[in-house]
Amino acid sequence: MKRRVLVAMSGGVDSSVAAAILREDGYDVVGVAMRLAPEPFAPASTAPVAKRRGTCCSHDDFEDARRVAERMDFPFYVIDLRADFAARVVDNFVAEYLGGRTPNPCVMCNREIKFDRLWSRAHALNADYVATGHYARIEQGADARFHLLRAADDSKDQSYFLFTLGQDELSRTMFPLGAMTKTEVRARARALGLATADKPESQEICFVPDGDYASFVERRSDPAQLRPGSIVDIKGKRLADHSGVHRFTVGQRRGMGIASGERLYVREIRAESGEVVAGPREELDSSGLIANRVSLVDDSIASGGELSVEVKIRYRHRALPATMRVDSARRAEIRFAAVGPAVTPGQACVFYRGEEVLGGGFIERAITAERAT
Amino acid sequence: MLEAARAQVALVVGAEARQMVFTSGGTESNNLAIFGAITAASRRRKIISSEIEHSSILAPLAELERRGFEVVRVAPDSDGRIDPARVLATLNSDTALVTLGLANSEVGTIQDLAPLASVCSATGALFHIDAAQAVGRIPVDVAALGCDLMTLSGHKLGAPGGVGALYVRDAARIAPIVFGGPHEAGMRAGTPNLLGAVAFGAATEAAMNAMRDESDRIGSLARSLLKRLGETIPGLRLNGPLTGGLPNTLSLTFPSVLGESMLIALDLEGVEVSMGSACAAGAVEPSHVLRAMGRSIADARSSLRISLGWNNTADEIDAVAETIPAVWRRVADAEPLSEVSAR
Repeated sequence: MKRRVLVAMSGGVDSSVAAAILREDGYDVVGVAMRLAPEPFAPASTAPVAKRRGTCCSHDDFEDARRVAERMDFPFYVIDLRADFAARVVDNFVAEYLGGRTPNPCVMCNREIKFDRLWSRAHALNADYVATGHYARIEQGADARFHLLRAADDSKDQSYFLFTLGQDELSRTMFPLGAMTKTEVRARARALGLATADKPESQEICFVPDGDYASFVERRSDPAQLRPGSIVDIKGKRLADHSGVHRFTVGQRRGMGIASGERLYVREIRAESGEVVAGPREELDSSGLIANRVSLVDDSIASGGELSVEVKIRYRHRALPATMRVDSARRAEIRFAAVGPAVTPGQACVFYRGEEVLGGGFIERAITAERAT
Repeated sequence: MLEAARAQVALVVGAEARQMVFTSGGTESNNLAIFGAITAASRRRKIISSEIEHSSILAPLAELERRGFEVVRVAPDSDGRIDPARVLATLNSDTALVTLGLANSEVGTIQDLAPLASVCSATGALFHIDAAQAVGRIPVDVAALGCDLMTLSGHKLGAPGGVGALYVRDAARIAPIVFGGPHEAGMRAGTPNLLGAVAFGAATEAAMNAMRDESDRIGSLARSLLKRLGETIPGLRLNGPLTGGLPNTLSLTFPSVLGESMLIALDLEGVEVSMGSACAAGAVEPSHVLRAMGRSIADARSSLRISLGWNNTADEIDAVAETIPAVWRRVADAEPLSEVSAR
């Protein structure tokens, strides 16, 4: 009997081609588009027809996915996971910003929705696998263990967002695009006559299409939860006031509202007191970090004590050589081999060894030179 | 040909051919009835309806509310019945229109609307019945119901989509909503959909001829299916009246599963059921009808509608009576309804 694969389709070119490839390979493909965003930007009924379009989870995107399914002749459904997404991704996003951290909702969405909630649905629909259009590779070693690897196309590599996957998840997940470049994916889409072949990339966080995170957090919070306060320097001297810690990200330069001779960066956010500590570039240097909620692709690697890894502390950053140690409470201490850049609490840090993802966690705080002792 | 089709369609509701206006479907018929009635009744500002109507009634009413009209939506009882007394209690000299569905599309409840006609008439309100779900399944007669306006849908009877009709009693005054030509006695401009109308006429005649036998046959299949599902699915609940509903409609609440998940799982097994109403993108919203009947959001999310048709056979019902419990067990096991998902 043909193996059934539930393919998560966004209406973009990547997931379209992922589904099409699996269909061509003979799998019993079932396409699903997930309705996730809590605030569909419902336009006024008098808006021009051409303006009645959202950017994600919109009618148009789902119709594009449906056209691909029709073209490739497999069933397609829209599923409503808005309540799960709100409870497990959006609420966390808001709470993290209110707590002075900078979350990465794509990591949470993968962990909580695509490779957890969607898997339950796959099981209910008798599917053997879940597939997505992520650029990453899964390989099974001679010892039957699964390995999560960077994509062949380094410029598109999305393995950073997938570090929460363990052996169980990897054994029933497929990333059909892992060995392809974006150019090859678009060429394949055109060759298959897919309607999505030339669709532009989506960049912003899907549920904040205008990119204005601060306003989004304010709309979804009780005003009493916001933490306004002062911007201070490292000695505690007040430099300016601000309207809430959720408006800042450690490492950011813009938006400080301070007329100062030197360029100031956010060094630390103290959510409890509402203090945002600013300083010159060199005060942001770090020597490592503490991560929590650490997960490993293969738990057996943790037994060896200290590990040499390369660590990525933001999606677009280069991986830095470091050593790491994981404790039994799933916290990790990472020491960079050289002085590192600003470490942003809330972001994911992902451990690599060459091509392979070993695991990752969420940044709790930086280790600065003074703290290291 | 058009006039022959008009006569066929008129006959099924006991009307005269000249009283039938062809439209593009039930939605347009409902829009013509509502906007046509409030335009003609220039000073009256109130419309009475119910909470369990089809979206082609509810959406025009929401638009009228936005324009400043008063809209009263009467609540049903737990079986989906509208109490005529509650409608009459809110009727007054400001009421332009009373619009109610004869049979509910989701739970199959058939309303007792005959008592409303004379009071509407006495207060000068127009009385519109949306009979799209009822015609061809149960006997419908405009004289017995005493309504001024009645909506019929072609595709509900097996005609292709894109054709419907509005019955307009001779004395009823409504204004057109589409302008441009003298077609349909000035009530609906635009070249008529001749092919659609002919198919509508033929489908109507066929449905009328087969109605009694088919209703009995389908009703007995539906009762047998309900009995077998009740025996195999503990906690299964029927929404709508046990007797006196549309013979072909079963609305069922399946314990501890998301209806959406069951719907997809059944579709993949070749069993087509429906749920609530699909949004433009295809995702399913919890049924406003079940909510109005007092069901929780979780129960509404766990409910599916099974509609039997003239082409369903006893063998198919036997097969479905096996498939549905098996799928229910699998879905309940793999994806038990969580507090979050049921929101």
